[in-house]
Amino acid sequence: MPAPYLAFDQVSKRFGELPVITPINLAIARNEIVVFLGPSGCGKTTLMRMAGGLDRPSQGIIRLAGEPVGGPDRRRGMVFQAYSSFPWLTVADNVAYGMRYRGDLTAPQKQERVAHYLALVGLTEFAASFPKRISGGMRQRVAIARTLAAGSEVLLMDEPFGALDAQTREHLQTQLRAIQRQDAKTIIFVTHDVEEALFIADRVIVFSKRPARIIAEIDIAARFGPERTLELRETKPFFDLRNEVLRQVRSEVGVNV
Amino acid sequence: MLRELFTFRGGAQRWPEIAIGAAASVLVVLLWQASSSLGWTNPRFLPPPTEVLAAFWSMLTTQNLLYHAWVSTERVWLAFALSAVLAIPIGMLMSSYRIIGASSEPLIDFIRYLPVPALVPLCIIWFGIGETTKIFLLWLGTFFQLVLLVADDMRRVPQEYVETAYTVGARPRQILTDVAFRAMLPSLVDNLRITLGWCWTYLIIAEIVASDSGLGWVIWTARRYVKTPEVMAGVFAIGIIGLVTDQLIRVLHRRWFKYL
Repeated sequence: MPAPYLAFDQVSKRFGELPVITPINLAIARNEIVVFLGPSGCGKTTLMRMAGGLDRPSQGIIRLAGEPVGGPDRRRGMVFQAYSSFPWLTVADNVAYGMRYRGDLTAPQKQERVAHYLALVGLTEFAASFPKRISGGMRQRVAIARTLAAGSEVLLMDEPFGALDAQTREHLQTQLRAIQRQDAKTIIFVTHDVEEALFIADRVIVFSKRPARIIAEIDIAARFGPERTLELRETKPFFDLRNEVLRQVRSEVGVNV
Repeated sequence: MLRELFTFRGGAQRWPEIAIGAAASVLVVLLWQASSSLGWTNPRFLPPPTEVLAAFWSMLTTQNLLYHAWVSTERVWLAFALSAVLAIPIGMLMSSYRIIGASSEPLIDFIRYLPVPALVPLCIIWFGIGETTKIFLLWLGTFFQLVLLVADDMRRVPQEYVETAYTVGARPRQILTDVAFRAMLPSLVDNLRITLGWCWTYLIIAEIVASDSGLGWVIWTARRYVKTPEVMAGVFAIGIIGLVTDQLIRVLHRRWFKYL
């Protein structure tokens, strides 16, 4: 068992009378990529948002490096599926926005970091473009670069590739792991796409339908190792695991899909 | 290409549409001229466009029309600026803090439906018949409309923007100025443009009541002597000012918000 860096301790949530999340215990190690997989509307996003301080647990406590998390701050950055970057700022300014409220960096330091993270996500040549002019996949990379530039230690990603076409999506999934290797972060990634989950994750947490509880934990790192190439997706073990998890999710959702 | 113009929700086409707009306007003016030349209408009540144009010209050259237009424009802009300066922060706060929204919405909704002309006597009792009354009436007519439009713009700022700002360490105040205001700016400018038009509607009421200058006064004085061409020329002047301002703001909008 890895030392818990981000720990959910008996965390539950109800909206009024409606239970959304049953008490959940979960420990996430530093620099681990954990994917929350589950049917849409099951409460996995709410669980992640609570880690970000954007929602409060009804009961239980979430700790980051031993300390209870309160409201949002720049240690935990969000990447949303839509509206992930500001349309009125250029790509470079969007990345720089991550550091806007940091008094500990000088202007040249900020500039340097912008250049560094733009290069990391491969957007250097689009620095002066507005988000409207670049593709959806690039916009998501802008958001990732902004969160990294902000100095977030935990990346909370809410179906960030959900609105992209299949090819862009595969590309970004590979890139996300590559970026994570160079600039190690703890990542919680929410998706309902089984293949995406298996490809990206070190560990997949499968949730039931609402109210969410954990129905399975799959250690992907132990099976496929840290390197993920597109070829992996074509291998039998990957395929078998995909089918197994898919069956699990399907039986959870029921027949009315 | 022209078929597109007749297609349900067909695509926009710049030049054909400009041509059609101009042609339709010219057609209306021609019909108007014809109705008068052919004796369908009494020129005392509906003078032909040539006569209105002649009146317009003589008002420009001999009756200081430009001065009156300027006075009116100044009143409109002053009152409008006062409305905007108050409505923008208040509207934003109404949508940001429920305590402000919940306490002010019923009141604003009530005042919004009060007919401005009905408040004229009250304004005169309060402020006399000077400049203050006119500005106040114009302000009254626009502020309460604008503040709700601003509140609506603010409500439509995506929650994702707000939360993105939170997670890079912004405080509510910074989110309001750095993110929310910037995000709503394009629709805000649109709403300002529309409310500015309403300001002109109330201007006439304000200037009819108590004034010795401005386009409203010009129109009302001409009416007293049944100089119908001059009345129409005065109305025409307001139309021109409105059209020009509107187009100007549209051009600025396109230039400022190129990123859209």
